[in-house]
Amino acid sequence: MRSIAYRSARRLAAALPVLLGVLVFTFVLMRLLPGDPAVFFASGPNSGEAEIQAMREKLGLDRSLPEQLILYLGDVATGDLGTSMTTGRPVLDDLAERLPASLELTVVALILALATALPLGILAALMPGSVLDHMVRVVCTAGVAMPTFVSGLLLIFIFYYLLGWAPDPTGRIDVFLVAPPSVTGFLLIDSLLAGDMEVFRAALGQLMLPAITMALFVLAPLARMTRASMLAALGGDFVRTARSLGLPGWKVVNVYALRNAILPVLTTTGIMFSTMLGANVLVEKVFSWPGVGSYTLDALLASDYAPVQGFVLLMAGIFVVVNLVVDLAYGIADPRVVIE
Amino acid sequence: MLHTRPRGRLRARLIAAAASAALTLTAIAGAAQAQSREETLRVVTGGQVNTLDAGMQGITRDGFGLNWNIYDRLVSWDRKKFGDGYIYDFDKMKGELAESFTISDDGLTVTFKLRPDATFHDGSPVTAEDVKWSLDRAVSLKGPGAQMATGSLKSPDQFKIIDARTIQVTLDKPDRLAVPNLAVVFPVILNSKLARQHATAEDPWATEWLKENQASGGAYKVSSFKAGQQVVLDRFDDWKSGPLPYFKRIIVQTVPEASTRASLIERGDADLSIDLQSSDVLALKDRGAVKVVSIPQVNAFQMIAFNTRMAPFDNVKVRQAVAHALPFDDMFTAALYRRGAPLWGASWKDLPDNGKFPQRLPYATNLDKAKGLLAEAGFPNGFKTTFSFNVGSAATSEPIAALIKESLGKIGIDVTVEKVPDAQMGTLISEKKLPFFTESAIAWLPSADYFFRVFFQGETRWNYGSFVNEELAELTTKARYERDPAAYEAAAKRMVKIAADEVPVVMLWQPALDAVMARNIDGFTYWFHRQTDYRSLTRTK
Repeated sequence: MRSIAYRSARRLAAALPVLLGVLVFTFVLMRLLPGDPAVFFASGPNSGEAEIQAMREKLGLDRSLPEQLILYLGDVATGDLGTSMTTGRPVLDDLAERLPASLELTVVALILALATALPLGILAALMPGSVLDHMVRVVCTAGVAMPTFVSGLLLIFIFYYLLGWAPDPTGRIDVFLVAPPSVTGFLLIDSLLAGDMEVFRAALGQLMLPAITMALFVLAPLARMTRASMLAALGGDFVRTARSLGLPGWKVVNVYALRNAILPVLTTTGIMFSTMLGANVLVEKVFSWPGVGSYTLDALLASDYAPVQGFVLLMAGIFVVVNLVVDLAYGIADPRVVIE
Repeated sequence: MLHTRPRGRLRARLIAAAASAALTLTAIAGAAQAQSREETLRVVTGGQVNTLDAGMQGITRDGFGLNWNIYDRLVSWDRKKFGDGYIYDFDKMKGELAESFTISDDGLTVTFKLRPDATFHDGSPVTAEDVKWSLDRAVSLKGPGAQMATGSLKSPDQFKIIDARTIQVTLDKPDRLAVPNLAVVFPVILNSKLARQHATAEDPWATEWLKENQASGGAYKVSSFKAGQQVVLDRFDDWKSGPLPYFKRIIVQTVPEASTRASLIERGDADLSIDLQSSDVLALKDRGAVKVVSIPQVNAFQMIAFNTRMAPFDNVKVRQAVAHALPFDDMFTAALYRRGAPLWGASWKDLPDNGKFPQRLPYATNLDKAKGLLAEAGFPNGFKTTFSFNVGSAATSEPIAALIKESLGKIGIDVTVEKVPDAQMGTLISEKKLPFFTESAIAWLPSADYFFRVFFQGETRWNYGSFVNEELAELTTKARYERDPAAYEAAAKRMVKIAADEVPVVMLWQPALDAVMARNIDGFTYWFHRQTDYRSLTRTK
């Protein structure tokens, strides 16, 4: 156990140069993009050159690029990601407040996707070429072919507008309810901690449509990957041996085949998780979800440098951690795998 | 003594903390009970509130709207009925926090008498000292200062405390926009004692603190504020600057998707939205499930600008030719579904009938005339140019651009359409780099000399045509201090004439503001900032 912790720490430390690279790259890229934030933010009525210049000084844009970069890196090292001009608040606070919303959505969506994709993929692999296999293929193709904002709006139209089953698709909780005190930032967990079942149900209700939208989006790669690796595993010698020894079918499939087939699925899941977290943007916009994606999009449109830089850094960090977790999970699924 | 003092202080602090905790708890419980749907107004908006302080550079339009409801100003405007709603009456000012105000005969001194019983949210009385500090702040901050200067309000020296309830404003010249400038969103009256506690040497006007906190005495107070997501307002029951508002609680929620906002209102989950897509507004109106109050934006306009400092648009004949080749009517239909007031097609030749601006100018689609003018300008075979618009306005600008391209093609002008990201558009306009583009704008103070001062001269972004005209500059400067209404009107007419002849920009139309609301909501008022005044809304039974 100790060695896992040690190796994990070494892996994270080794990621630091990568994060630094990401940081510098984003920093330079943002400044190469057209659009002068000073003009954008000093655009009040009657604002002229003097106001723009004052804004430029306030944002530190009057300094040379290397000077700005050094100041920025110094700030980041002390945990200061700068201030967002769009919200007027420290970027770190904004991200900390909004990341749980995005994570909650992504995790629930991923669980939904896995809960659907694994059985579908396994069934399809057990009966390749059957009607069921084709149906799985159709569902997957439809899910991946439809842009998330289209499926999101469609779900809203059907389940909210026409049927009235879903709560109004705005935010994480019914506006007329009082949110429980924030402990973890995950509304589902916080409401349970507070023992407030009404809020829990409301939050779960709000979460369903956006989570289904996201799940539809990642269903295809997960199900296809499960099917492919299950097919490979089912054709393996060890499965034939297990079958010939007369082991029950469920045991052969779930223990012997699935355990061997799960590694590529794990990898895909890890990649999907990171992708979803970033690709949430459209879903967050459609469902007014107060996550990091929609926050960063607004900032990007406003040439607001600090939040975009902070977001990219955050995503890079999460990607590093997720990769590590996936590698650790590999070790559990297959004890021969050791992370280095 | 040495022992007891700290201990005493600690105990006092503990008691204070316990008391405030208890107060907060009762406040929360009370708020929860008072939260009946009937007296709660749920507003959905596509924009977002990013600050509570209108003095912050980069504040959004929704930010201004919030400011309007949580702070009071000394004065405000009256309103007049328009259709199912109201429109603010720029010619009729009234006191808000000031019970009354008088202007001296020479127009150089304005004296404000404060309401005797007005208090801030924390219960402290509103005094002349608060007013002075607030006005000092408004003229000293960068962005607000630029606005206040358009009414000759430039320096703290101009504000004098006479007594606890009287404050005097002195002017160098009798500026007609001095008092109106005290009614815009910047010169709000702040609780100066509270704000000053959070001021520092580098930040003497407490801008950092006021971004997320309020020091106000307006009709509503902010009870929760999540930047970019949601603001909850509670009524301040001791408000004295007007009749007590109907709604006890206002929830303003950011819902980026326009179609979702429309569904929310149609299903009765939300009560009001002012920024739906025109197509949704029409559909909702047809289905009859909601009330649509459509009010022309009297202080706004959409226009096509030429860069008058760049060939070929430095040639007035070219500008006139293009103005005559614009497919006004088709653009109006395609971009706005004709929801607004046209600014083309006037019939006057020498001088307009009145000096109001924006008003209709004598341009209409006439391709033969356009061709003739183009030939006179020395471009019988036309030329190539680029027409730009910002991506954020694509819903209206895209059809405009497509129709212009088609129509100008008929007189030989080859137009390339360019979509520009919003942030970049501002930069390009400020640097006067675009040859030909469309934008829409508003002037808070719809007075002719102000329009011409802001939009037709100077080096700011707002001089869209990059226009320089000495006569116009002289006229606006003089008109600003003109006290004789007849002389002002004459000058204004001449300004309109110059705008029509020289066409640095072609005025297209004033879009209507469509406020979509539940059928039982009444009292919507159009204000210069194009946001909702919650104080005037009611729900009929």
